[in-house]
Amino acid sequence: MRSLGLGVRSLIRRRLRTALSILGIAVAAALLLDMVLLSGGIEKSFAELVLARGFQIRVTPKGTLPFDTEATIPGAAGVLAGIRADPDVETAGAVLGTPLFGRIPDSLVTLFGYGIEPEAQGVYEVTAGRDLGPADSAGVLLSPAAARLLDARIGDTVTLVGRLDPQALASRPGRRLVARGLVRWVYDARGQASVGTILPVMQRLAGQRGDDRVSVFVVKATSDSGVAGVAARLRERLPRLEVNSVADLVVHFRKRLVYFRQLSYILGSMSLVVTVLLVSTILTIAVGERLGEIATVRAIGVSRATVVKQVLAEGSALTLVGAALGMVLGLVTARYLDAILTSFPGLPAAFSFFVPRTGALLTAAAVLLATGAVAGAYPAWLAARAPVAATLRSEAT
Amino acid sequence: MTPPLLVATDLRKDYPMDAGTVHALRGVSLRIDPGEYVAIAGPSGCGKSTLLQLIGGIDTPSGGTVELLGTRLDLLSDRELTRLRLTRLGFVFQRFHLLPVLTARENVELPMAEADVPARERRTRADELLAYVGLAARGGHRPTQLSGGEMQRVAIARALANRPALLLADEPTGELDAATGRDILDLFRRLNDDGGTLVVVTHDERLAAQAGRVVHMLDGAVCD
Repeated sequence: MRSLGLGVRSLIRRRLRTALSILGIAVAAALLLDMVLLSGGIEKSFAELVLARGFQIRVTPKGTLPFDTEATIPGAAGVLAGIRADPDVETAGAVLGTPLFGRIPDSLVTLFGYGIEPEAQGVYEVTAGRDLGPADSAGVLLSPAAARLLDARIGDTVTLVGRLDPQALASRPGRRLVARGLVRWVYDARGQASVGTILPVMQRLAGQRGDDRVSVFVVKATSDSGVAGVAARLRERLPRLEVNSVADLVVHFRKRLVYFRQLSYILGSMSLVVTVLLVSTILTIAVGERLGEIATVRAIGVSRATVVKQVLAEGSALTLVGAALGMVLGLVTARYLDAILTSFPGLPAAFSFFVPRTGALLTAAAVLLATGAVAGAYPAWLAARAPVAATLRSEAT
Repeated sequence: MTPPLLVATDLRKDYPMDAGTVHALRGVSLRIDPGEYVAIAGPSGCGKSTLLQLIGGIDTPSGGTVELLGTRLDLLSDRELTRLRLTRLGFVFQRFHLLPVLTARENVELPMAEADVPARERRTRADELLAYVGLAARGGHRPTQLSGGEMQRVAIARALANRPALLLADEPTGELDAATGRDILDLFRRLNDDGGTLVVVTHDERLAAQAGRVVHMLDGAVCD
């Protein structure tokens, strides 16, 4: 029968109004949660994506990010040897990314090709069949989409064709390769048809073999604490290349997507304002309706503090239930919105905009509860200041 | 000589209005001794309810003093005055003013909960009081499930919860039919017989006549 119990019973007394209020708060809470998930989720998802295979450093052509452009780095073997010579580097590998074609009975289909070093790669996971050997120049790895496009199964032979020759308006000669396995390319967009061969094979297909060109080097340091040191030494040793740790990439990424963060802050703030207005309005109406009751309990000796606590408890109860419902609603809408946003062309399939995190959930819940208390402050003040004698007089007439 | 329970001296209450100040009380003095049953009678608007609010510490006078059990009410802070109303006074209103979300028993328990009486003790006392007012079987009912007379009985039980030194009732039968009103007055008579001190405001002279002493008021002043 203390404040919270009385508050809850008062809310139950006006079932429809309470239910509608809770729904309104739930919608605002869902929006707030989604904005909290969005504001930090993109970065977290990006960092997880970049770190998916444990390589903490990327070396790319100057002024670019991995696979950002078609720019390549010449003399890959020499650069790689220099990187591997660093005592704090556990392993490093080179990757070439290039557009190419696959031959099907009566035409060519567009593919994306990865040239990789299977013994040090950070761009795929084998999901069926087997990986390529380091010198397997006759094998190829396929994404499920590529396998479908080429109508190929593990063990089948496929023909890959390099860039079209713009002078002759004809393709280069094809290369026949045997599908060794199906893989998930970490940075592929949903449904992207990608294939992978060992680096020299892809370099030949792309016409990049002559000066041994690659798109990116991936580097794994012996420990996380050594990453910054390795990156600094590589920057010094390779001044004409771009060296970025995962933390650096996240910073770059954050700069590019700053508008997402701003959007989430603005919409999150708006949802809080809506919650405050909603709870405050409902409680103000409730206090107005119950002035007679409030004057009575004050007259019989109930303290202002008890009256204030009851109004605040009502606000907190409304917000608590609305927030709980809003959390569920927010998680459901976050999944739906995430599905829409990640279907944009070119985004890695493993990327997420809304990443549920315990910290984000707790933050949203704490902010909402604080909001409920703030929203109850004005009606609680009204209740505490209710003129007892005048109200009782007007109630009696 | 037993010291008085309540002494009101030269009480005045003015209400500033647009059309001029309304003098609701014009210097009323009153003494209530322990065990008395006093009726304050008079026509509507004569100031009797205002007087009750002043001696109950619900409102503050424009002039004069109220002394309850030797304590000047005008010298108390709002918190002290609230505490005094909770522990030393009991109030019964014309329109009962029970909390609709609470059962009859919980309404009776409310002042005891505010006074930090342990849960078991207040439940026992609430049941005793409901039995005293003849509602032993109605403790679990909400006010909307009770008749007017039953609601007023619950209100009386609530007023008695913290064993007040003085019970103040403002038109306690105003909302009740004649028969039910008589039952309530019988209950007040019994309370007084059991040692309770009561001040009852009423505009009904027949009901006032049941009190041990009647104070007549007219136009903001005692006219006896």
